[in-house]
Amino acid sequence: MEREVKNLNILSQFCEDFCTIINKHCKYIVVSGFVAIASGRTRGTEDIDLIMERVDFNRFKTIFADLKRSGFVCMQSADVKEIYDYLTENLSVRFTRKNKPLPEMEVKFAKDELDNYQLNTKVKLELTGLGVWFSNINVNLAFKEELLKSPKDLEDAKHLRIVYSELVNEKEINEIKKMIKRLRL
Amino acid sequence: MRESHLGQITRWANFVRSNPEWREAHNEFINALFDSHEKIIKTLLKTKHGKKKIIKLYGIKNTKGYDWLNHKKTKKMH
Repeated sequence: MEREVKNLNILSQFCEDFCTIINKHCKYIVVSGFVAIASGRTRGTEDIDLIMERVDFNRFKTIFADLKRSGFVCMQSADVKEIYDYLTENLSVRFTRKNKPLPEMEVKFAKDELDNYQLNTKVKLELTGLGVWFSNINVNLAFKEELLKSPKDLEDAKHLRIVYSELVNEKEINEIKKMIKRLRL
Repeated sequence: MRESHLGQITRWANFVRSNPEWREAHNEFINALFDSHEKIIKTLLKTKHGKKKIIKLYGIKNTKGYDWLNHKKTKKMH
């Protein structure tokens, strides 16, 4: 498999293994801190955030069975219906490999127009060396600068603005910031 | 943001942008964090109430899902 020659770190390998499974079944994006970390930011994290499209229960059962078969465990429950209920209530569920408590994949269903926008404008980022789908850089910048705003997030944004300077589009960032104000603030 | 820290972030981001060898140092950094964490978990598992602490620490409700939490004597985090 391709990833065996990529020399990925523990976090990136975990992300790629998990996303390879999700990608077989539905649309998803990796968002937030891991976008910056996979792009070279030197800071720690225990989890990776993933948004997946809302799927019906039968489809989710198939995804869950595939994850289980591949050695992933949900930290909250082993009951697929209970896990699905968390997701439909817009709560996150966390998955790890069955032999380790970390790293975690924190999974949510897309919940609004903003999440759907991210799913529809997903990108692959060559710099990361990963084959996974990320939310686009302008969305990440808007979230970090408009909604999250912690020192860590502002530092992530600074890093992303430099390493992806050719992708930064202030017009799109401002449009997304307006959407954030309307839907999340 | 602290100015000196901001400067360090800027310097590193510029290095990442122009030097493909950033990945090796970055991988070492990330792997070291998880290796260190794994050692701590293994040590914690050997202590009194270590399992309970880990379960509480990570909010693990599905304890049956993790074999290494169910052994009488601790182990088997590969």
